[in-house]
Amino acid sequence: MKKLFFGLLAFVVLCSHDMFLKLDGYFLQPQTQSEIQLFNGSFEKSENVIARNRMLDASLVGNGKRIAIDTTQWFEKDSITYLDFKTGNAGTWVAGVSTAPRNIELDATSFNDYLEHDGVLDMLEWRKTNNALEEDAVEKYSKHVKTIFQVGDTLSTDWNTNLGYPIEFIPLENPYSIHPGHDLKVRLLYKGKPLADQLVYLGNELEDKNETAEHTHANGKTHSHTHEDEDKNDHTHASVEQLRTNGEGVVTFNITAQGVWYLRTIYMQHLEDETLTHESNWATLTFAVGDGNQVHSHDADSHSHDHGDETHEHDHEDEGFPSYIFWVGSIVMVALLFFFFRRKK
Amino acid sequence: MGNSIKRLSLLILFLLPAVVLAHDVTSADQETLNNGGLFSYIWVGAKHMLTGYDHLLFLVGVIFFLKGFKDILKFITVFTIGHSITLIAGTFLEIQVNEYVIDAIIALSVFYKGFENLEGFQKVFKTNSPNLLMMVFVFGLIHGLGLSTRLQSFDMGTDQLLLKIISFNVGVELGQIAALIPIVFLITKWQSRQSYPAFYKASNVYLLLAGVGLFVYQIYLYVNGG
Repeated sequence: MKKLFFGLLAFVVLCSHDMFLKLDGYFLQPQTQSEIQLFNGSFEKSENVIARNRMLDASLVGNGKRIAIDTTQWFEKDSITYLDFKTGNAGTWVAGVSTAPRNIELDATSFNDYLEHDGVLDMLEWRKTNNALEEDAVEKYSKHVKTIFQVGDTLSTDWNTNLGYPIEFIPLENPYSIHPGHDLKVRLLYKGKPLADQLVYLGNELEDKNETAEHTHANGKTHSHTHEDEDKNDHTHASVEQLRTNGEGVVTFNITAQGVWYLRTIYMQHLEDETLTHESNWATLTFAVGDGNQVHSHDADSHSHDHGDETHEHDHEDEGFPSYIFWVGSIVMVALLFFFFRRKK
Repeated sequence: MGNSIKRLSLLILFLLPAVVLAHDVTSADQETLNNGGLFSYIWVGAKHMLTGYDHLLFLVGVIFFLKGFKDILKFITVFTIGHSITLIAGTFLEIQVNEYVIDAIIALSVFYKGFENLEGFQKVFKTNSPNLLMMVFVFGLIHGLGLSTRLQSFDMGTDQLLLKIISFNVGVELGQIAALIPIVFLITKWQSRQSYPAFYKASNVYLLLAGVGLFVYQIYLYVNGG
């Protein structure tokens, strides 16, 4: 009976693990009704909804203000928890959800499977090297998720808001100010401090046109495949890459194409506790990188940046009139003035 | 009269490279910066200085006032120190000022120099003009902020940031030297000619007009959001 219980539990654990905040489109119009989806399962599919009372915090940050999300704004549909909200003024916005810890009891095999399945490879390695693979586990876990989205064309500084969650990703640059080809740095904080040497998984749903792409799964295995018969125009491509934070808790990765990008990590520690053996804190961050035409463009003629509290836009081509007009006009004017003063004398 | 036309032709000849090079700072520069390493920052910095008429007009005004190569070297060095301070520090510390406001102030510096060269302080305010070396340093700081604002409009990434800023600054200095050589040559050569007073007056009245025109233009852009 106990085996069956653990087996069922393992099935539940292996089916539903990560939590993500996602949007159908990450570029929204100001002052419009929109939805954010809270996925509990994988990035591709939500397996369960999240009860309101599990949410210790649900916040929206935009236009310099943090707004607590009212529980009545959430609704459920097809195993997905939806947040119905109205976008505010233009700017880069952040939404976050932090859940209360829960405990889970797993036999050794289920725990090992879960560590491998979810890519908690450091803990699995520790169990291997310390002959602990046969030990059952009672784990306390909690999940803390964020998404960054762009409202309108104006960039703002809220993208780097620290929501104060036990663990959270904070980009070092506004994802909406960059374009494909750029290296993005993101810092991972645990209890407010940089978390070094931590495994982080980078995933994406790219609107690429490559027919061959390489995947790395959560467990580190890589393969590539081709899409021969798919419509290239509507093609999206998902892949996962394994990264590790440096000494300053920062992961750096190249934004290879436009699309939706996400980071996920599970930081697991041993616990010296009478009832618990482990504690894990889960974090995800989702955002999108556009083609550069929304708020930032180098292929087109304009882009905008934010610097500290200031936000401004540049239009390189149209900024001022062309220099040659100025210089030609200047020469003509100096010549006219010269002849005028020469004659006057 | 024939000599004057000759000199004006010379002026046009000297300014022709600036006209030809006048591509402005464009998104093409961003592509150059993305792909060209530190040298691309030198190139874009030089290009910006060569096509940045407000900076050059101010320097033309400064050179008109000076006598002798030593003097020119001293004042240009002070201007360079001034704009290097704010260009490097402003960009590295991400200090942002509104580009239209800073360009409007730079336009005023062009007006100021023309006004001073035409002895405006004595004629209008019945007083001596402020110490020019100090003013050139102060305007150098302001011009540097303008250059910094322009540099910050580019996506520079995070790697080698200080080196990129310094490279851009080096480019600005090289562009400045390239632009100044013909201007200094032309002005000093013309100084010994009879037509020089008319040229002096025409150039400095033009600086007044250009300063006012650029100021109004930048304020218009500021008010209308660019």
